[in-house]
Amino acid sequence: MNDEHKKKVNQKYEEQLQKGERFWPDAIYKDLLVSFALFILLIGLATFVGVHPEPKVDPTDATYVPRPEWYFLFLFEFLKYFPGELEWVGAAVIPGVLVMALMFLPLYDKNPFRHNSKRIFAVGLMSAIVSGIVTLTLMAATTMSNLVAVILGVLVAALMFFSLYKEVPFLQGAVRKAVLWVMTIALVGIVGVSYQQTAAMASDEEEVHVASSIAEKMTLGQDLYSIQCVECHGPDGEGGEIVGVTGIEDGTFVKSISSKDEMYTRNDGSLFDIVSYGQPNLGMPPYGGSYGGSLSPSEIEYIVTFMRYTWDDRAEVPAEAAGAAIPALAEGEVPSYEVHVSAVTKRQCLSCHREGKENNDYLMDTYAGILDGGINAPNVVAGDMNSILLQTIQGVELSGNDGEIIHVMPPNGKPIKDEYIDIFIRWVEAGMPETADDAAALSTEVVPVAEETPSE
Amino acid sequence: MFKNIYAWLDERLGFDDLYKGLLDRPEPHGNWWNTLGSASLFLFVMQGVTGIFLTVYYTPSPDHAYDSIQYIMNGVAFGWLIRGIHHWGASLMVLVVFIHMLRTFFSASYKYPRELTWIVGSLLFLLTLGMGFTGYLLPFNQRAYWATVVATNIGGVVPGAGPFILRALRGGTDVSALTLSRFFSAHIWMLPAALAALIGVHLYLIMRHGESAYPDADD
Ligand code: HEC
Ligand code: HEC
Ligand code: HEM
Repeated sequence: MNDEHKKKVNQKYEEQLQKGERFWPDAIYKDLLVSFALFILLIGLATFVGVHPEPKVDPTDATYVPRPEWYFLFLFEFLKYFPGELEWVGAAVIPGVLVMALMFLPLYDKNPFRHNSKRIFAVGLMSAIVSGIVTLTLMAATTMSNLVAVILGVLVAALMFFSLYKEVPFLQGAVRKAVLWVMTIALVGIVGVSYQQTAAMASDEEEVHVASSIAEKMTLGQDLYSIQCVECHGPDGEGGEIVGVTGIEDGTFVKSISSKDEMYTRNDGSLFDIVSYGQPNLGMPPYGGSYGGSLSPSEIEYIVTFMRYTWDDRAEVPAEAAGAAIPALAEGEVPSYEVHVSAVTKRQCLSCHREGKENNDYLMDTYAGILDGGINAPNVVAGDMNSILLQTIQGVELSGNDGEIIHVMPPNGKPIKDEYIDIFIRWVEAGMPETADDAAALSTEVVPVAEETPSE
Repeated sequence: MFKNIYAWLDERLGFDDLYKGLLDRPEPHGNWWNTLGSASLFLFVMQGVTGIFLTVYYTPSPDHAYDSIQYIMNGVAFGWLIRGIHHWGASLMVLVVFIHMLRTFFSASYKYPRELTWIVGSLLFLLTLGMGFTGYLLPFNQRAYWATVVATNIGGVVPGAGPFILRALRGGTDVSALTLSRFFSAHIWMLPAALAALIGVHLYLIMRHGESAYPDADD
């Protein structure tokens, strides 16, 4: 760039300053307004959208699909086009060259002109790069087809290019403005809708529960405990003799894990460690992913929280968590599967009566499973007080179709609470209604609406 | 009375000169796109303020990072707000800085005499991305951990220097406590210090050369 040109530039700038405005107050009020708007936007996002909760690190969970921050998504998507041997080209060479090109742009862009009509190549190239980034981000972040993503990307480039390059003969004045606005709105609309669809799909798929409050942790922990631990430790951690559990000898004795002794000698850390390593020589299986178990660190934490707040008399249970898990029955009320029976089976039976356990194929995790499952099915018959299920939970040992005995349930001979037995009896008596509405319709007494026997 | 106090202070602190030098400058006519630089600055300051509050409770160790964030979200008054602002502010800052860069590109503001402003600016852009990258690991949850594993793996594929880059980023062969303390230190000390210094240079250059005028058909 020669001195003459520099002089021209500086002279012109002086003239423009004369015709211009003052930083204070002409420009700065716009600055403040925009910053203030961003501030409000941030508070809004923090309040109404918040930060998506995520579970604890689980280095053994190989199924986790890593998602980088959204503004790096395009790089990840870009890398997919450089598989295997070539990965370093996409990972290092191309981004490196682009970053250098960006940084030293003023040193090699020798075009002295500044107006867009005189730097069509530069404007076009940058538009193309931005449209590439937008396309790749859309491909990675939404479920839209690649074709749609490419079309939208091109639209972005066109939009940018034409809003800057004003000398298009057929696009002038008001028409031009209108066209640009319509394009912008369409673009934002399509991207917004497809993003929303993707988010909705994603939240359907991944049912990962992340608890934040103690009450939530206790509830999730209770469920996990019911399924994973009840078969050996009993629904209340009381322990005793283990009978009928896959993978451990009948008659193994387990001490109580809910006693004051246990709760006062073990802190949360050591409970966490016991559950993750197990006590293999005593028969307690490991649950931590690193030791061959199936629970994530967050899940083990929930179980420990449940144990601590349920069994430790020193723990102050938060008010919102204090409700009883299984609603009590009123006089004449008919229990339903939905509200009562599923709650009892979840806590008392599901630990053994689920996939992969020895239980005569009697899976109790669904309504249909309870009605029709098991090799001696049906285990419940409407109105039949001699249904197998009712007998076993009331201490009667039976022999099945195959001649094998069916033990009392639960098999360690410790009957479940009377009110739970009562729930089963009344449920079978009334014909095993599934939903709360069905049960309410069957309720005899005119008690103020039956299902309203709240938990608190 | 107040006049006297003002005059006394002004003689020593130089308010009037400051006003003349900083605020009462002439500028060419601008438009709303010109606000994005100061918006970037505002977001940087917001990130700084909320970040400082977060460090009060945040603990950069694998055993405690997750729980300390949980505590900030549930136990500390307005902790959720501070973290929420910091979280969204990070995304917004990347976006705003990027658009600010595009605007200076399309208005060709990087040409004589503002070449250095652009070069310093592009460093600011890279540092901002670096802040996003290092900050992402700090909550030490599943998402943070796995994204960092994958991203640092990419550094490892560079021929020759790969293994070195990988170890330099992770502080070892795996993403571990060392990675976390490295990222933490970069996120709260090294990168912000570099950012603040370069922002100073950037602003000095802008004051020295003035805001560029939008080019007209002759430029
Ligand atoms: C296959 C049977 C089995 C299952 C399932 C099981 N445990 Fe155990 N657990 C044991 C045995 C056996 C011991 C050793 C008991 C003893 O020392 O009396 C034990 C010991 C423990 C102890 C330590 C008691 C102590 O202080 O030494 C804790 C705590 C514990 N289990 C918790 C759990 C939790 C929580 C679960 C569910 C995630 C679970 N267990 C699942 C069999 C089991
Ligand atoms: C410790 C594990 C364990 C628990 C807890 C348990 N069961 Fe069982 N259940 C078994 C096993 C094992 C069988 C297979 C028969 C046998 O060996 O007794 C079985 C069989 C049954 C059967 C017969 C199924 C058939 O078709 O043969 C019924 C009914 C039954 N259980 C009901 C229950 C109910 C109701 C509960 C909850 C209150 C429960 N069980 C809790 C282990 C368990
Ligand atoms: C932390 C990030 C950044 C901050 C805080 C920042 C701040 C600012 C401010 C306050 C201005 C003056 C107002 C304006 O024109 O908007 C400005 C101008 C400018 N910035 Fe930045 N900036 C940042 C990043 C960048 C980047 C990434 C680039 C380009 C690579 C860049 C290049 C420029 C240029 C060339 C100008 C002069 C514009 C003109 O004179 O018209 N800046 N910046």
